[in-house]
Amino acid sequence: MNDLISPADPRGLTLSPGISASTLQPEASVQLRGLRLQYGRQQVLDGLDWQLLPGQVVGLLGRNGVGKTTLLESLLGLRDVQAGEVQLFDQPLDQLDDALRGRIGFVPQRAELFEWLTPAQMLAYFRSFYPRWNVAKAEGLLSRWDIARDTPIGKLSGGQQQRLSIVRALAPEPDLLVLDEPVSSLDPVGRRDFLRELVEQVLDRGTTVVFSTHILSDLERVAFNVAFMARGRIVLQAPLDELLEHSRRISGPASAVQACVSAHRLQTLASTPLNNGGLAVLGFGEQARSLAAAALRIEPLSLEDLFTGITQ
Amino acid sequence: MSADTFFSINTGSTEPIYRQLIEQVRRRVASGQLSAGQEIPSVRELAQALAVHPMTISKAYSMLEAEGLLERRRGLAMRVAARHERAQPAADRIELLRPTLEHAAAEVQQLGLPSSKALALFKEILASHESGEP
Repeated sequence: MNDLISPADPRGLTLSPGISASTLQPEASVQLRGLRLQYGRQQVLDGLDWQLLPGQVVGLLGRNGVGKTTLLESLLGLRDVQAGEVQLFDQPLDQLDDALRGRIGFVPQRAELFEWLTPAQMLAYFRSFYPRWNVAKAEGLLSRWDIARDTPIGKLSGGQQQRLSIVRALAPEPDLLVLDEPVSSLDPVGRRDFLRELVEQVLDRGTTVVFSTHILSDLERVAFNVAFMARGRIVLQAPLDELLEHSRRISGPASAVQACVSAHRLQTLASTPLNNGGLAVLGFGEQARSLAAAALRIEPLSLEDLFTGITQ
Repeated sequence: MSADTFFSINTGSTEPIYRQLIEQVRRRVASGQLSAGQEIPSVRELAQALAVHPMTISKAYSMLEAEGLLERRRGLAMRVAARHERAQPAADRIELLRPTLEHAAAEVQQLGLPSSKALALFKEILASHESGEP
């Protein structure tokens, strides 16, 4: 066992937009600095900074087309960025040796799975590349998730292919698990099975997990931290509990809303003018729970409300 | 006690999951459904049963321990603390309902409904629960 998988305190991250790269932290699982990537005139990554600490389970949220897949692929070196720096396990990405690469598991949005092989053949092939491979775990998951071992992968349903892709990523017992929309083709039962497996990974190995999803209910269960991507950056990352408890929607006459936000030292996560000339602000801060003002309307927020506001 | 039937969680709520768990334990201790000495599921069991991050569960348990509702024993399951022998008197229990009713009252006001209508609906809901047909 190495110290990488000791669970770190996922609350140690900064709450303000962007990430402060602390030098006191233990080896970060993922450290991104100033990533830039432009497609044509679209700036998909615009000086993006991000840090994932060992043992964190982070849900990555953003609207369709914002660049979540691009970000996850850049982080893994599957896509070249135009500027910026990627470090995994404190090593620059281009200097990662095979041993460190073997500690990373990836479930892509669309599984590329060698359709002519059977699941048994495909797993045997991948096994040869990894220093560590938990045969019992892979076999157990194949049985539990009803994946036919000897049917060509191309003939499996979309859901079964996605499950197989998850088995392939979990079998090497990764220390870093990156999942891009891992449950998009799974039914609710399949999703729950998958979430249980993730929880098990966290319990047994302290795996660092980052996953993108549009299914907020799944994310609420297993992600202790959420990261919101918008405008080419991670605009906010925080423990979900704190976000729900310490954020409020404050609406009313603009001057009163602004006075309330500054008096209670709230961070403005989003600000929207209202039709009647008023203002609605999503405010975040320690004092949000005790807000009270006669002229204002103050409402607690769900993750969906936060998603809508922050990623606009 | 089976972990997944005893606790339930609502996603999509404005209340974090760890708070939902705390409230459920508080209510069950107050009503006597959980009594002194009774063991509760381990962090591991409950995290797996609910498919929830284990830190969320341990955060709830730690706060319940700090409140004196649960007690931790070395190497053993946590249990309901000894001082909670009997259900609290109804006068104390009713106070636990206050936050939910405050919330409902605010909605009644926002909807511009008269209190008599809201009370009638609440009575109707209570009656259907008592007859076992919610």
